[in-house]
Amino acid sequence: MALLEDLKVLGVDTEEGLERMGGNSALYERMLFKFLDMMQQSSVQPDFDSNDYEEIIEKAHAIKGVSGNLSLTPIYKAYSEVVSLLRAGEPDKAKAELINVLPVQMEIIKCIEKYQ
Amino acid sequence: MKKDKTILIVDDVEINRAILAAIFCEEYNIVEAENGQQAIELLDGEQSFSAVLLDLLMPEVNGIGVLEEMNRNGSIRTIPVFLITAAESQEMLLEGYNLGAIDVITKPFLSQFLKCRVNNVIELYEHRNELEKIVAEQVERLNHLNQSVVETLATLIEFRDCESGEHVKRICGLTRILMKEVSKTYPEYYLPKEEIDKIVTSSILHDIGKIAVPDNILNKPGKLTAEEFEIMKQHTVRGCELLSNIPDIMDAGIYNYSYDICRHHHERWDGRGYPDGLKGDDISIWAQVVSVADVYDALTSVRVYKKAFSSEKAVDMIFNGECGVFNPKVLYVFKKSLDKIQEIHKL
Repeated sequence: MALLEDLKVLGVDTEEGLERMGGNSALYERMLFKFLDMMQQSSVQPDFDSNDYEEIIEKAHAIKGVSGNLSLTPIYKAYSEVVSLLRAGEPDKAKAELINVLPVQMEIIKCIEKYQ
Repeated sequence: MKKDKTILIVDDVEINRAILAAIFCEEYNIVEAENGQQAIELLDGEQSFSAVLLDLLMPEVNGIGVLEEMNRNGSIRTIPVFLITAAESQEMLLEGYNLGAIDVITKPFLSQFLKCRVNNVIELYEHRNELEKIVAEQVERLNHLNQSVVETLATLIEFRDCESGEHVKRICGLTRILMKEVSKTYPEYYLPKEEIDKIVTSSILHDIGKIAVPDNILNKPGKLTAEEFEIMKQHTVRGCELLSNIPDIMDAGIYNYSYDICRHHHERWDGRGYPDGLKGDDISIWAQVVSVADVYDALTSVRVYKKAFSSEKAVDMIFNGECGVFNPKVLYVFKKSLDKIQEIHKL
């Protein structure tokens, strides 16, 4: 259970996440590892093109959905904001939000990686 | 516990599928599809699904595409579809609802509520599907019963009358050919197929009133006296009296057609028929059609009072007015369908 406890310190709502998995912590951990794969394949960097970011919206949207379901609360909150800002045509504010969340995101990812 | 129901989960993100599967796998079999195309193929396959959990945003065929296909093949009526969404694309959600989605699941999932909602809807749909099946079976039984009632009544006359049951079958066949052709040829006489079916069934009863005609008149070899003919003519009205005593055991449509055909299958286009002396299109088209069919069949069959005429002779007699005047449009259709009509008479 060490992984979940470590994540909890980083602001992850592990109780809610565990409940969503029907209390199955092995499943929860497996899904967290899947999240790593997903982030490696399609992360969102703040240096995207401010004029053409349809694809970025889709990626951010996917991250938002998954992080929400895994109760990775800090990531979920930030990407919810990023998606709404991009949809509202505010790429610069979205970038600022991204830059803001990257350190926390990095910490969470590193934490999960330790247990992989 | 044996799981007899299956849920189809459609999402391009594996994590989302896995979480939904974890929520529902205790009570349901789970089948996953990672895009819309796969979902459509699975829905078309052998497996039947109790519900579909459908992501909207997917590459290739998206959720809307799946819903459109389900509308095309009608499965949207029997399988409840839940839209999975992160709730910020309202236009798409609305489109989903308009395409028949039953409810929306927002991410992150609230597993307890989600289970309750999906279970409830599945139960509701099962109930509805079951009811629709029962109604369809009952309608089928009712139609069958109707047919039996009519056939039973018709058999009664066959016992009384020397005319055989073949006469009744031929009248049905002739009525069907003529009604279909009249309906097709003349827009003013158009009737949908279901109505023509009812008319054909009703034509069986056109002579039911003959039950009330005494044997010595009904089966008299040779010409009837004026007095006897008056009694014979009453079979039209007596048939209606008989039917009006048993309206409840018949389908309303068949009852109305039967009543009208019974009463008016001896009316003539020029108003010189009986019992009401109706003229032209005051006589319903179905009664007009049955009267031509009845006359042709009587002419071409052996009766206690006459030999059978050839089809050619019968047609001549009908067209030169020896059997009374008929609607020229019905006669036109009659002539046009003569090949088919003669086919029936070989039976």
